Amino acid sequence: MGNRPINDKDPDFSDDSASSGGDEAEWLDVESEEDEPLAVISLLDDSVFPDVMSMLKYCKENHGFDFLAVRQRLGLDFHGTVKLVNFIRQQIHDGCPLPETITAETIKDDRYLKPVVDDDALILSLDELDIDALDNEAASSAAENISSQDLVALNSRLEEELAAVKSQFANYRLAVEQTLERRWGDDKDVESSTKDESQYYWESYGANDIHETMLKDTVRTDAYRDFIYENKALFKDKVVLDIGCGTGILSMFCARAGAKAVFAVDKAEVVEKARANIFTNGLSDTITCIKGRIEDIELPVPQVDIIVSEWMGYCLLYEAMLPSVLYARDRYLKPDGLLVPSFATIWVAPVSDPEYMTDHVSFWDDVYGFDMKAMKTGIYEEARVEDLPPSTICGQPSQISHLDLHSVKPEQLNFRSDWKSDVNQSVESIDGFLIWFDIFFTTSRQETVPPRTGVDPSSPAGRIPSAVAFTTGPRGPVTHWKQGLLLVDRTKGIFTAEPGTGISGEVVFQAPEDNPRALGISMSWVTKDSEPRSQTWKLR
Amino acid sequence: MAGKNMEIDAAEAKLKNMEHSEQHYFKSYDHHGIHEEMLKDEVRTKSYMNAIVQNKHIFKDKVVLDVGCGTAILAMFAVKAGAKHVIGVDMSTMIFKAREIVAVNGMADKITLIQGKMEEVELPYPEVDIIISEWMGYFLLYESMLDTVLYARDRYLAKDGLIFPDRATIYLAGIEDGDYKDDKIGYWNSVYGFNYTPLKEVALREPLVDTVDVQAVVTEPALALTLDLYKCQVSDLAFKSEINLTVRRDDFIHAIVGWFDIEFTAAHKTVRFSTGPHTKWTHWKQTVFYLQDVLTVQQGESVGLTLRVKPSDKNRRDLDIAIDYNLQCPDPKRAATGTCTYKMC
Repeated sequence: MGNRPINDKDPDFSDDSASSGGDEAEWLDVESEEDEPLAVISLLDDSVFPDVMSMLKYCKENHGFDFLAVRQRLGLDFHGTVKLVNFIRQQIHDGCPLPETITAETIKDDRYLKPVVDDDALILSLDELDIDALDNEAASSAAENISSQDLVALNSRLEEELAAVKSQFANYRLAVEQTLERRWGDDKDVESSTKDESQYYWESYGANDIHETMLKDTVRTDAYRDFIYENKALFKDKVVLDIGCGTGILSMFCARAGAKAVFAVDKAEVVEKARANIFTNGLSDTITCIKGRIEDIELPVPQVDIIVSEWMGYCLLYEAMLPSVLYARDRYLKPDGLLVPSFATIWVAPVSDPEYMTDHVSFWDDVYGFDMKAMKTGIYEEARVEDLPPSTICGQPSQISHLDLHSVKPEQLNFRSDWKSDVNQSVESIDGFLIWFDIFFTTSRQETVPPRTGVDPSSPAGRIPSAVAFTTGPRGPVTHWKQGLLLVDRTKGIFTAEPGTGISGEVVFQAPEDNPRALGISMSWVTKDSEPRSQTWKLR
Repeated sequence: MAGKNMEIDAAEAKLKNMEHSEQHYFKSYDHHGIHEEMLKDEVRTKSYMNAIVQNKHIFKDKVVLDVGCGTAILAMFAVKAGAKHVIGVDMSTMIFKAREIVAVNGMADKITLIQGKMEEVELPYPEVDIIISEWMGYFLLYESMLDTVLYARDRYLAKDGLIFPDRATIYLAGIEDGDYKDDKIGYWNSVYGFNYTPLKEVALREPLVDTVDVQAVVTEPALALTLDLYKCQVSDLAFKSEINLTVRRDDFIHAIVGWFDIEFTAAHKTVRFSTGPHTKWTHWKQTVFYLQDVLTVQQGESVGLTLRVKPSDKNRRDLDIAIDYNLQCPDPKRAATGTCTYKMC
């Protein structure tokens, strides 16, 4: 078995590693940063070698130094091996002989994380040593057992190992960067260090605020945490995909719950922060961060056991990532795999809030003595995001969507539904309709949430015995999603209804064709005393 | 109506040709929500109203320029105060709404509203007697359009013309803010049991726009910048200021708070308002700069500060800010010096 740099696209590769097809070329491209051929400089003199193994062999034969033996004797992990390399290179660079015996103490100092040789091909290919060990093991086991099932399993295990090694290398680079930044920070003047830092930090700033808001939305984050930590058995030794991982919190919950491997995917810059957080928390061995749209990347595994994602947007579906989650479900989730969360429902109810109308609509009638009604143009065409008090709800809520996320099809996300409500309060006018959603986490695909199940905020588990659930409705604690408020167009007449009157109608959720990220909501409604009306709002 | 739509299209085309950050700045004023917030800021709007409407003797028969006119509320105040004519200039498409507002209030013949950048538009008057403008941003200078006001001053203001407002000052003070610092900065030490310190470094460099309770203020305020709008130059907007904060009580200093005051000295009786922690809420709130260290201070001691502010090279509406602090005291264990850098963007 030869020695292969990790990104070598040698056609032998797929054969040797018992691959089932030509997919490797694609997934190798996921992080195709270091493709140049490597020239490995000898640890102990100036000789150059085409690969690591021949260099190490040379060192052993000509200098009597067995690198692999030292590494094995000290039981070095990836970082330890890096330190060992740099320690040796530093000694040789300084013209000092290597000590009689290298101990763990000798290479303890973190400064040995800093490369002595720029782009040290030995360090860049360290992972190869692990792969080689694996390859040998793989080859022998493949020889013994050649059932195709085993080959597939072996292949996916190798792919996982490779992903883990790649992630380890990315983490190593991060560690080096951080070590160096700290060191340079000490002796550089303020002006230039400000500039360096700003380049690194400010690029990603924009996102920080929203991630803080989301993390501090305890209704949201607690629900994911509770479900994952209360169901550790579900996660134990499983392969998990986290779509839209943000700062990495859900991936880390899964890793702590015992997941074997977690793939954290996000297309935004924040994935670098996730990587840093995951590294800081010592979970890099379990979690692999991948930057890119889930549709554009190739996971290093053919299937995952669990997909976890916090994809919900305003009114559930605005700017939501749900289509991406469904794509990943169809592409990667095992047939009996679990989506977390697994059910979502949408509700609508009529509201009356005279105070809100005065503050935000009538306000423009007289501003410091001036008529600013012109500012009201379009006010009834825009869905607003507000948290209204529960007392403003003046009729029972109606469920307009019940999504079983394990089976829903992307085209079902544009939907129409009937709705009805009986007015149960005496109000001056019905000012609009409030939209909110509930989210359920079930522990298996078999467990369902029956239609019209509500979440009772006073009991955190709602009404489903084993499920974790939360509501974004007015009766629950406020979340960062608040609710969607659709104001009835007063210029077409005030909408009134006596208590006991039934309102019925239709609601349509439709993403405009020209902008799939926007959301249009249309409603029609009628009572026995009133003419049918309809109105459309846009959320943007 | 067709004519109006064409004009809106033209305005939007103009916006499209700008740099992305500029587009974002102007577009942020297109939505009614931001104007609602500004108009409902009574400290702000009433101060302008008083400065203008109570000075009819100054505005009578004058030609007035409103820089960044928004919903044209200041322009309408000026008409009420007797102005001969008011020209309002704004880049945002809100100006088309402002035209409707001016018309329904019967002032269409007194107010000319021009959509465009101050530097590019053609005014119907070669010079103006008074410039009015509400140009202030967070911490006075963040996303501010003071440079546009100064351009208008140099280009259009008549000799002996007036500027409303004409004086702006920035103040700093030290605050005890342990609980909130824990909440905003310490939060990242443990997020659901995870170490999130990579985000903490970002949080520390991010000035926080928020309200500060006056009880939290530990030092006397110190004046860090005075801008005389008749004299100041764009180059003055990058500045360095050395000040001393005198400690009022034994306490800790977790952060430096900054705010600004605005004065209309041209008014018969000077109108002024402050955005500091000691007075009424404004939509500018205050700006809090967290320090890396916690300073332990005793009454009567003094903390030396050097404040450096400059528009960012990348986007002139953003600010690069640095604060050097120096606490000299008899107890060497409490003495502290350091530099913190921030970016408002």
